Order: sequence, then structure tokens, then C-alpha cells
Amino acid sequence: MITSIFIAIVLILIIWVIIIYNNIISLKNQVKSAWSQIDVQLKRRHDLIPNLVSAVKGYMQYERDVLQRVVTARTTAMNTFRMLEKAEKENLLTEALHNLFAVMEKYPVLKSNTNVLELQEELVSTENKIAFSRQFYNDIVANYSTMLESFPNNIVASFFKFEPAEYFRVKETEKIKPEYN
Amino acid sequence: MPITFIDIEKQKTWRIGIFYFILLCLYYIVAIAFVQGIFFIFPIFFIKTGSIFIWNNPHTLLIIFIFCVFLSVIHFYFSSFNAVQNVMKNIEATIPDTNDGIHKRFINILNEIQIASGNVKKIQPMVIPSLSMNALAVSDLRGESAVAITEGLLSRLSRQQLEAVLAHESYHIISGDCLEATIATSLFGLYAAMLDKLQSFGEDEKREGGLHPAFIFFWILVKMSYLLNLLISREREYRADAASVRMTRNPVALAEALYLISNNWRGTGTISSGLEMLCVINPKESEIDESEGFWANLISTHPPIKKRIKTLLNMAHLSLSDMEKKINDKHEKAEDIETTENRYYVLDKSNQWQGPYTTSELKEISWISPGTWIKKFSSEDIERASEDDFLNCLFLEHLTSSHSKHISDIKCPLCKQPLLKIPYERTYIYRCHYCRGSLVDNDKIHRILARREQKFNERITALAKAVQLDNQKNLFYRKNNNTKLETRQLIRCPKCQNFMMKRFYSLAYLVEIDRCGICNVTWFESDELEILQCVIENKITANSI
Repeated sequence: MITSIFIAIVLILIIWVIIIYNNIISLKNQVKSAWSQIDVQLKRRHDLIPNLVSAVKGYMQYERDVLQRVVTARTTAMNTFRMLEKAEKENLLTEALHNLFAVMEKYPVLKSNTNVLELQEELVSTENKIAFSRQFYNDIVANYSTMLESFPNNIVASFFKFEPAEYFRVKETEKIKPEYN
Repeated sequence: MPITFIDIEKQKTWRIGIFYFILLCLYYIVAIAFVQGIFFIFPIFFIKTGSIFIWNNPHTLLIIFIFCVFLSVIHFYFSSFNAVQNVMKNIEATIPDTNDGIHKRFINILNEIQIASGNVKKIQPMVIPSLSMNALAVSDLRGESAVAITEGLLSRLSRQQLEAVLAHESYHIISGDCLEATIATSLFGLYAAMLDKLQSFGEDEKREGGLHPAFIFFWILVKMSYLLNLLISREREYRADAASVRMTRNPVALAEALYLISNNWRGTGTISSGLEMLCVINPKESEIDESEGFWANLISTHPPIKKRIKTLLNMAHLSLSDMEKKINDKHEKAEDIETTENRYYVLDKSNQWQGPYTTSELKEISWISPGTWIKKFSSEDIERASEDDFLNCLFLEHLTSSHSKHISDIKCPLCKQPLLKIPYERTYIYRCHYCRGSLVDNDKIHRILARREQKFNERITALAKAVQLDNQKNLFYRKNNNTKLETRQLIRCPKCQNFMMKRFYSLAYLVEIDRCGICNVTWFESDELEILQCVIENKITANSI
């Protein structure tokens, strides 16, 4: 009798651990896919920037250094691969881009250039996509951390050595909202 | 969890089951009534099987039931599996043009929203070619879903506002409550929409004739769609607003968008009544939507807009007046202190609505006259330009600057503008600068008719012949059928403001004139005076043509 109860308890414990383990794994994969989503958008931004720079270069002779900052920020961001560092470098690029957009406001000629407008719209959209995918990523990471740190789960997590995921941190002035309509 | 709504979606399926059940019952009742009718008409053929009453014949009931199940399954299948396309066809929505800047922005924003919601579902963007401001979401059992936005909304909202509206709509789709609304709409509401269109076609022909008996079934379906509002709760709009804020983290933008939509033309008329539960704001402004309480909660599909805006603004710790101020400030910056009040849509000569024009733009438009149909930017009513005080001032200004010498103190009965006193056949008549109608004292008519200085061009001669023939026909028809004179709108006398009498000049010369018996004046509409002259001078009578 006692042995059968003991076996039952052990079985339940094992099943319970399996369920927790699987839940953690599925969240971990969600974190991964959310990160790859950000990555796609970042890549797209890197591709768009040269086009924009070459389109506005002719009009903005006196803003060489603004453009130069964007270009260098892009190259450094593209050459970093570790997550924490990458986030930091991408933030620098975002800042440089915002600066460029702000300067572009000063040139009314650019507003009548459809090519530039299109590129700007694409970049704004990509910026927003980055912001949204980062928001989504952070939400999932929050869920993942809660899962790892809440009570019975943390035993299982520490036993299987799950590592907590990093948030994609940003400075306060984020998610640009230019209005040009 | 962020936004994974699979469990909510599961809960929704029982409601769809209810819709099917309602449809089945409807078919069953109609079919039983129909068969019972046949039994009553031909009792002899069925008397052998037992009673004349159908409920004593379980076999017949069963056969009808199976038949109804069959029919309703077909109905259900065709309307709910193709719902997206059906609805889109009904509102004439099209796929956005990727070469168009604004449309491209719409596609981009929708993509952004999909990323924000974790790419759960593919949503097709659609554009409704209408100047109104509204948005609607549809999804069907095949898994297709679409968000349709009117052109007016696309171009008048800022990027964040549009983003907030799209987030709201895509929550409806992701959460699955759009599915139930779409199915309800395509089962019942689409017929309401169709009936709307049919009625507007038939309106001119026979107003008292009522509906064709074949429409009775449709009519029942339409009435059913009102009952369905009971099942569709208001709460889902609040939930969608909340989800929109969670996705965009920007409650103020959604509040602003709702405010702008509610203060503009929401598409009454273009978006038919059956589709209202799919829209972000009810296209019809109804009192029940704005009220609260048990009944209002039960019957209406949309919650009070004021309450929605307030809830959203509370999240941002703003008050309604703050937001109104902000929006109005923006308008002032954009359009040199021109408020939205003074903007107009104008119906042009090819019957297309143009605008909205600001007042300074209106001054430049040459084809606008007091008879033109206009619609104020902020209101729903369509009226003649002459009924608007502000536009009247504009016309008056124009008149005084060009013809200041001739202006009289009598006003045109149609355009409400001062008539000009102009020389005509060596005497004076009053003529409206805009509609070219003329007011002539009765004693002057004979003088004018006798004198022959005025030459008529071919247009007037042709018109005179046509008018004579037409009026002769009408007169003949009326005499034979003993019908009264058709009630065209009577005109008020410009002098004494009493109604003028409509009559022909004489039975030989069938030109319609309006005469005031008190002031002894006659009103000729544009060209009528010339036609009368031409007719008399050339002795054109209907018999001589």
C-alpha cells in the first residue's frame, strides 16, 4: 500500500517536472523567435540607410558630420554580434538617425522629393517595427523570467541550468513619431 | 502571456453555433408556414394522410426539417466561408495601391501592428473609396481576415492615430470576436445592406407601393439582425481599446482618433446599416449608443464614445478639454486659424463630392452657385449653398463687387441673393445673377412680349419647341387620367413671401410661370422668359410643330 502511494507520488512529481520543463522550453523558444524578429528589422534598417544617405547627400552639403555619424554608427552596429553590445550599438544608430530626421526637417526641398519621402517612410516604418518587436521581445522575456523565478519552477530551472534572457534595453527617448502629413 | 488569444477564440465558437441555430429556426418556421398554406389551399390531396393541420403529421414535419437543415447549411456555408469577400464587395473596398504614398503607409502600419501583436495572423489591408472616416474589420471561417479603412480616415489621421485605430481593429480579428460579428453580418446584415440599396433605387418611382412580397424573407432577416445586436456586446469595444493601448502604448493617439472620427462624417449612407457592428464607430449617430443602462447595453453594439475617450485619456492623466485644445491648436497651425466649422464639401457638376474646401478656397471656385449642394465638414446634413449664412455672405460680397449699381432690395426666391435690376427690351426686369431667373411686373410682360429687340439663339428656339411638346404631353396625360397637377415645390413670392401660383402662361403657349396674385408679379425661371417670347414671336404651338 505504502509503496504504491510512494510510486504514485514519484510519478506525479516526474510528470510535474516534465510539464514545467516543457513550458520553460516553449517560452525560451518564443524568446528566440522574438529576437530573430528584431534581427530581421535591424537588418532591414541597415539595408535602407545607404539609400537614404545617398538620396539626401546632394541636398545636405553642410550637414556632412550628421550623415557621417549615421554611416559610422551603421557599420559598427553591423559588425557587433554579441547581444548586449549589439543593443547598445543599435541604440546609437537610432539616435544618429533621429538626429538626421530632425535636420532633414530644415530642408523643405527634401519634402517635395518623392524618393526621399518614400525612403523616409520606409525607415520610419522600420524604426517602429523595431520598437514594436523589441516591445514584444521584452514582454516575452518578462514572462520567461517570471517563469524561471517563481517558486516551484525555480528549482527545476536551476536543476536544468536555464539561463535568464536579457532585456533589450533602450534609453527613454525612443520610438520616433515624425509627422509629415 | 502577451497576445495569444487561442482560448478566447475557443469560447467564441458556441456563439457561432447559436447563429446557425437561429438561422435554422427561421427557415423551419417559414417552411412550415408555407407548407401549411398549401395544405389549406388544396386540402383534398393531403386529407388521406390524416389531419389537415401539419402538426398532426410527424412525417411531413420531419421531411421539412431535413429540407431546412439542408437549406440552412448551404446558406451558412456560402455566407460565412466567403464572408470577407462578400462584405468587401458590398462596401466596394479595393486592395491598396503600393505606388501610392498614403496607401503604402497604411500597409506599413498594418505590418507594424502585426509585429506588435506577435505575428499571430495575416491581415489583408483594404481601402474603401469614401471620404467618410471609419474603419472596419472582418474575418471568416476560412481564416481570411481584412481591415478596411476609408480614404478619408487614411489621409486625415496622423501616423500614430492610424496605428492606434489599426491596433484596435486587429485586436478584433486576433481575439476572434470579429469572426462572430462577421458571421452575424453575412448571415443577416448583408441582406439589410442589400435592401438598403434596393430601397434607395426604388425610392423615386413608388414611395407608397411598399415592398415586393419576395422581399419579405429578406425583411425578416433584416429584423433578425437587430436582434443579433443583443448577442454582440459592447464590452468587446472596450477590450479592443485596451488591447490597442497595450500594443501601441499610446492611449492619447486612440482617443484623438476616436474624437476626430466622431466629430466628422462617419460614413452614414456609404456604409450600410447591416455592417455597423464591424465598424470602429457606429456609422449612424444614434442616441442609444450614447446612453448607458441595461437596455442600452443590451441593444446597442457600440459603447458611448465619450466614455471610451475618457477612459483612454485617464490612462494618460489628461482631460477631455486638454485634448480638444491640443487638436484645435494643431488645426490652427495647419490652416491659418481656419476652424473645421468653416470647411465644406461641394457637389460638382458631374455629381462628385469635392473638398473639403476652406472658405478662402471656396472664393476661388467659379462653378459654385447658391443652388449647389454643399455639406458642412462638421455636420451630416446636405443643403443648398443658399441656406448657409456664411456662403451667402460670400455670394453677396461677390455680387456687390461686380454689379454694385444694379443691386435691388428684392431677393431671388431660389438663391436668396439680391436680384439685379437690369434693362431688358427697353424696360426693366429683376434678374438673379446666379440662377438667371427673372422677376417681371405683370404689366411689363405684355410690353416685353410685344417688343422684338431681343434676338433668340438656336438653343432657345430648340428649348422652346421641346418645352411646348413636353408640356402638351403632360397636359394631355393629366386630363385623361384626371390626376392633379404634379406637386413641384412651390416658390415663395420675393416681395410678399406668400406662395406663388404655378400655371401655364396660357393654354396656347404652354410655358410654366409662377405668379403672385397679391403683388402682381411673375417669376420666370432661367430661360423661361426668353422661351415665352420666342414661342409667341414665332407662333410655336405644340400643334404646329
